[in-house]
Amino acid sequence: MKTKDMVLAIAIFTVMSLFSNAITTKASSAAAIINSIPGLCILAIIALAGMIAAKFIPGGIPAAAWVVTIGCLVTVPGFPGAEFINAKVKLVNFVALCTPILAYAGISIGKDLDAFQKTGWRIVVLACAVFIGTYLASAVIAQFILKALGQI
Amino acid sequence: MKNIKLHAIVLALIVISEMIGVIPISIGIGRIVLLPMLYALIFGMLLTPKFLNVAKEKEMLDASSLIGVTLMLLMARYGTLVGPTLPKILAASPALILQEFGNLGTVLLGVPLAVYLGLKRETIGAAHSVAREPNVALIGEKFGLDGAEGRGVMGVYICGTVFGTIFFGVMASVCGALGIFHPYALAMAAGVGSASMMTAAVGSLVAMFPDMKDQLAAFGAASNMLSGLDGLYMSVFIGLPMTEWLYRKFYKIKYGVEAPASDAKKEDEA
Repeated sequence: MKTKDMVLAIAIFTVMSLFSNAITTKASSAAAIINSIPGLCILAIIALAGMIAAKFIPGGIPAAAWVVTIGCLVTVPGFPGAEFINAKVKLVNFVALCTPILAYAGISIGKDLDAFQKTGWRIVVLACAVFIGTYLASAVIAQFILKALGQI
Repeated sequence: MKNIKLHAIVLALIVISEMIGVIPISIGIGRIVLLPMLYALIFGMLLTPKFLNVAKEKEMLDASSLIGVTLMLLMARYGTLVGPTLPKILAASPALILQEFGNLGTVLLGVPLAVYLGLKRETIGAAHSVAREPNVALIGEKFGLDGAEGRGVMGVYICGTVFGTIFFGVMASVCGALGIFHPYALAMAAGVGSASMMTAAVGSLVAMFPDMKDQLAAFGAASNMLSGLDGLYMSVFIGLPMTEWLYRKFYKIKYGVEAPASDAKKEDEA
């Protein structure tokens, strides 16, 4: 994707997120909606920076990893402006950002509905196994190390 | 990108879904939570040619080409959730840090089951991690969310969103009652990168072991922060390669032939 297109796409999603965030957080006044704009713009800049890094920095590290890392870095206590950034992005609800994504996902999934129906119940069974797998394996390791350290 | 109709449809979906709001449903042992994102997904699907035919072929294709980018705003927010907690994360104990590798348990249990159930490349998306937001972004970027891998990760993500909380709450109760594991170990295991799942699991443990309340809550929260930090890197560097490898092994055992490669579009073509 061209850098110009990335900027346009991020700008569109930022506007979409402004709507979902305003309704999720039950913004009652125009001021509350305007207050969320700086946070959204900061997130848009972080997202763009990460995508551009993934595009131009060799090593094949996915854009998602770049974006998370940059977002983490600029909010670590002690980073210049971290407190300001943190205060602003706090006004953007995490779950509200998911709604636009799944709206696009819903429309795009339309063309694979048959495949979804075929795999549907299997994925549900698998999801349970995935949850059990991560929980039990983590518990086994934690139990073992805590025992070894004499903490339990 | 410049498909105005698509963006107008999406905006309408967002507004309608958010207006409906969160619907919690109590079912005795806990709560199932329906979030606006789920309605947006379902309504979006209902607009496609199979049903209402509002969103046509062009909209579906444009939407799928954009999903990778839509996830980046969420990932930025995700990073800013982790950042402020970083000093606390770095101070965590070795038990907390090492139990993070338990998150790879999804691969060991998930891949064989997925292949047994007859799933193909869906396995890669569904079993490589516990399928929270960063994992969805990773799969979306590498394979696209409209391919088999994307169906897998989206399926588990949705399941986690709808009944993950209740599942983790019940699982923690059962493990606590079995008495095999120390409650501290169970609290550490609860942090899988989802605050609601962790809270439910720790909540169950606190109800059973009220005198350990503070430690359980602290271990759960710390482990969840850790998963937030390492979850994505763990998936990129260990989880995903391990899943691919194990999938090929089990595929060969079941079908007697080499597993076909992914037919999904690669990131550089997107």
